[in-house]
Amino acid sequence: MSVRLRRDVRFRVVGDEAIVIRQRAAEVLVLNEVGARILQLLEVEPNLDELVDSLAQEFEAERSQLQADAVAFVAELVEAGVLEEVSP
Amino acid sequence: MRTTWDDNVLFSVLLELTYACNLDCDFCYNDLSLRGQPLSYEQYEALLDELAELGALNLILTGGEPLAHPRFLDIGELARDRGFVVRIKSNGHALRGVRARRIQERIDPFLIEVSLHGACAATHDRQTRVPGSFDRLLANLEELRELGLRIKINSTLTRWNEDEIEGMYEIADGLGYRLQIDPEVTPRDDGDVSPLELSATREGLQRLFEIQRQRSAAASQAEPPSEAPVKTSSAPARPQKHCGAGSSGLAIDPFGNVYPCVQWRRPIGSLHESSLAQLWRRSPVLDEVREATVKVRQHLLGLGERAPAAFCPGAAEASTGSPFELHAPAERRRDSERAVRSLPVLA
Repeated sequence: MSVRLRRDVRFRVVGDEAIVIRQRAAEVLVLNEVGARILQLLEVEPNLDELVDSLAQEFEAERSQLQADAVAFVAELVEAGVLEEVSP
Repeated sequence: MRTTWDDNVLFSVLLELTYACNLDCDFCYNDLSLRGQPLSYEQYEALLDELAELGALNLILTGGEPLAHPRFLDIGELARDRGFVVRIKSNGHALRGVRARRIQERIDPFLIEVSLHGACAATHDRQTRVPGSFDRLLANLEELRELGLRIKINSTLTRWNEDEIEGMYEIADGLGYRLQIDPEVTPRDDGDVSPLELSATREGLQRLFEIQRQRSAAASQAEPPSEAPVKTSSAPARPQKHCGAGSSGLAIDPFGNVYPCVQWRRPIGSLHESSLAQLWRRSPVLDEVREATVKVRQHLLGLGERAPAAFCPGAAEASTGSPFELHAPAERRRDSERAVRSLPVLA
C-alpha cells in the first residue's frame, strides 16, 4: 500500500510536533513526534513497507508492532483527510 | 503560538513583493520613496527554500499589490511546491477571469484577503482614487465566490467610512465572507503620520465596537461554544512576550530588507548581504526586538487599567519613537472600547 499527502494539506515540523493544515476544511491537526516523523518519511517514501523499514531503524520497537501501529496511524490520517491512497 | 514566540521558532513570514499598485489609496502605509535592488526570482527561490528549511509554514504575499509583480504566479507556485500555507493580500482589482483561475490552480492559496474601503462607490473610490474600483471589486468578489476560493474582506475604519459600518457588513454577509474592520489607521513605513488624519472619530470607533459586540453576541447565541478539552502543561514558566514580532514572524520588503513585522519597521538586515538564516540566528537587532516584546508585556501589565486591550509596539515606535509609548490612536481605541464595554448588549 502506498499513500501520499492530499493536495490541499500542508505541514511543518515545529519542535517535536507536526502542525498539519487541511486547507479545504480550514482545519489544524497537531501530531506527536512519531506522527511527525511518519509524515516526513512519507514525503520521500510513500510505500508503507518501506516506511516501516525506516521507522525500525530509528525507533527501538518490534517490527511487527511498528507495522501494526503505522498501518493504524496511516488509516487514521486517510480517514482524517490528510493522506490518500495511491495506486502502486 | 506561545511556543513559537517563546522559542523563537520562525512560523510566519510576510513578503511584500512590490510596492507597485493599480490603486492609489490615500492612507497607504508603504514607503513609496524607498529605493533599492528588488529581489530577483532566483533570490525568492533561495529564500523560500531557506524558509521551508527553517520550518516557516505561513507565507503572506502582499505589496503594494502583489499581483503587480511580474513573477507573482511563479513565486506563488514556488511557495505552494514548498508546502507553505499561502495567504494573498490584494486590493482585489485584478482578481478576475483567467488570472483568478491561474492563482487557484498554481498557488492554491489558503486565503485571499481583499480590501474594502466603504459601502458605496463614492466612499470606496474616494479612498482608492480610481473611479469604478468599488463596482469592479464587488463583481470580482462574486466571481471568486463562484470559483470556490476562500476570501476574507479587510477594511480600515476611517473618518470617511465610519458611517458605513453596517453597510460594509451587509456586503460581506451577502457574499458569505468574513469582514474584519481594523479600527486603527497606521503611520506610513517611513514614519510619516499624515495618514492618521484620516483616523476614525471616537464616535466612529465606539459605533464599530458596539456593532462588533452585538454581532459577536448574536453569533454566540446562534452557535454555543463547544466544550473543547483543556490542555494543561507542566512546562517551566518562561518570559512572556507581548507578540511574535521578530520571534515567530518577519516581514521582508521588495528590496530584501528584513523587519520584525509589517508594522515594526526597525531594519534587521538585507538579503542582498546576508542569508535569512544568518539574520534570524545572529542579528543583534532581532535580539533587541525580542527583548523589547518581553518588556512591552511587562510594561502593559504594570499599567493595569490604563493598558489598552490591543497595542502594537511597531505602530507605537513609528508614531513616537518608542515601542512602549501609548500613542494617540491606541489610547483612543482603549477609551472607545471601555465606553462600549459599559453598555448593555441588546437582545
